[in-house]
Amino acid sequence: MAALVLAEHDNASLKPSTLNAVTAAVQTGGEVAILVAGHNCGAVAAAAAQIAGVARVLVADAPQLADQLVENVAAQVVACAGGFTHLLAPSTAHGKNVMPRVAALLDVAQLSDIITVESADTFTRPIYAGNAIATVQSGDAVKVITVRTTGFDAAAATGGSAQVQPVDAIADSGKSVFMGREIAKNDRPELTAAKVVVSGGRGMGSAENFKILEPLADKLGAAMGASRAAVDAGYAPNDWQVGQTGKIVAPQLYVALGISGAIQHLAGMKDSKVIVAINKDAEAPIFGVADYGLVADLFQAVPELAAGL
Amino acid sequence: MATEVIAVSCGVGACQETLRTALAIGADRAVLIETDVELQPLAVAKLLNALMAKEGAGLAILGKQAIDDDANQTGQMLAALAGLPQATFASKIEIADGKAAVIREVDGGLEKVTMTLPAVVTTDLRLNEPRYVTLPNIMKAKKKPMETLKPADLGVDVTPRLKTLKVSEPAGRKAGVKVADVAALIDKLKNEAKVI
Repeated sequence: MAALVLAEHDNASLKPSTLNAVTAAVQTGGEVAILVAGHNCGAVAAAAAQIAGVARVLVADAPQLADQLVENVAAQVVACAGGFTHLLAPSTAHGKNVMPRVAALLDVAQLSDIITVESADTFTRPIYAGNAIATVQSGDAVKVITVRTTGFDAAAATGGSAQVQPVDAIADSGKSVFMGREIAKNDRPELTAAKVVVSGGRGMGSAENFKILEPLADKLGAAMGASRAAVDAGYAPNDWQVGQTGKIVAPQLYVALGISGAIQHLAGMKDSKVIVAINKDAEAPIFGVADYGLVADLFQAVPELAAGL
Repeated sequence: MATEVIAVSCGVGACQETLRTALAIGADRAVLIETDVELQPLAVAKLLNALMAKEGAGLAILGKQAIDDDANQTGQMLAALAGLPQATFASKIEIADGKAAVIREVDGGLEKVTMTLPAVVTTDLRLNEPRYVTLPNIMKAKKKPMETLKPADLGVDVTPRLKTLKVSEPAGRKAGVKVADVAALIDKLKNEAKVI
């Protein structure tokens, strides 16, 4: 048995979600290798080689892999898949885009969002917005998996000394062209990796009002999140959405402000260590999962909280 | 733009109701690929691939994930099987000159790709607002054609690849305490939870 993990990166640095996928890969029981597909991505390969528990790093370095176009990356994974029983990627937007394509090219099923490895062929994953956990067994020769990062601890980023092996890059598919990327720049931690998340909901009332969360997020060193209702209303950007169809987070502290707590939102944050909810509606379902609830007007309570920290 | 919109569903006979709604929203005709077998994403992708070839479809649009199994796989698998480019999690689509320019919702922001048609798109929540179903359109939809096929008609084996051994309830989370004011909250976070 052997597992290949697709590295998530931007050609300059390895994304932390890769470390959680490595932990899942190690649990499948065989040797673990990492595939770095990119362009001028030597620094990423060097970082991958440092990860504890990784035996080999395969590097496909070519211009057609620079922007992570899915047609090319999936073909690269398939080209490197020989000899591997498990192909894994973190369940990020990129991993979810690539791995089903890989699975179909190999004519095997894909297991989405696993949260535990029970054995080499059996895994658990949440269904129905996390209201049930399915134990699923794959009969396919190769298991193609996306890993819910909150389900696995990050592997140690240093301490390993994997061998780095260049591999031939696949040809460009010629079917798609990367046109550009608009990634919001800020000094806050990445939402899915943050230790503290401050989230606002429909109760924030406007995009302008979301700004009152910033001093609190600054004090806590928090990432900012939002409920679907807040995103749909245009109060917060799409990539802040926490929940079933957004991001899954499990920080040490999750602060829910003006969020009622629909099950679709709870699906994205209920594994947080400590949950704080502030809502003026004492009956809001969010209080059913919050460790500490405060029934209050958030426009008074949030500045007071930020000032008191 | 498209000369014809075909709404497709794979599953049990009751899916006809969903297809009628799609016809009332504006699809021209519908195809139900009917089976009682539990359909997994790879099987659905194979059915759609066979149908896309049969119909000569130039663009397949799918939702990004089902609300029951949350798999988020079918569109990507269809694109792979058909040898087509894919743009998942689309929040904007522009079709021109045989190409689809798609804005994708990705971690941290947006990404734009241009694909040569035919292609596969999966939708994000913010792509558009579906039309309301009106009574006159419901009446019209009853007259629109709906074809029923079996997986065997398309030469597709839909046998499940994954076996669900059990389904259990996740560890519950109990409600904690309500605190009286902000000062009490800060005290709890500092001295009890020790997270700040």
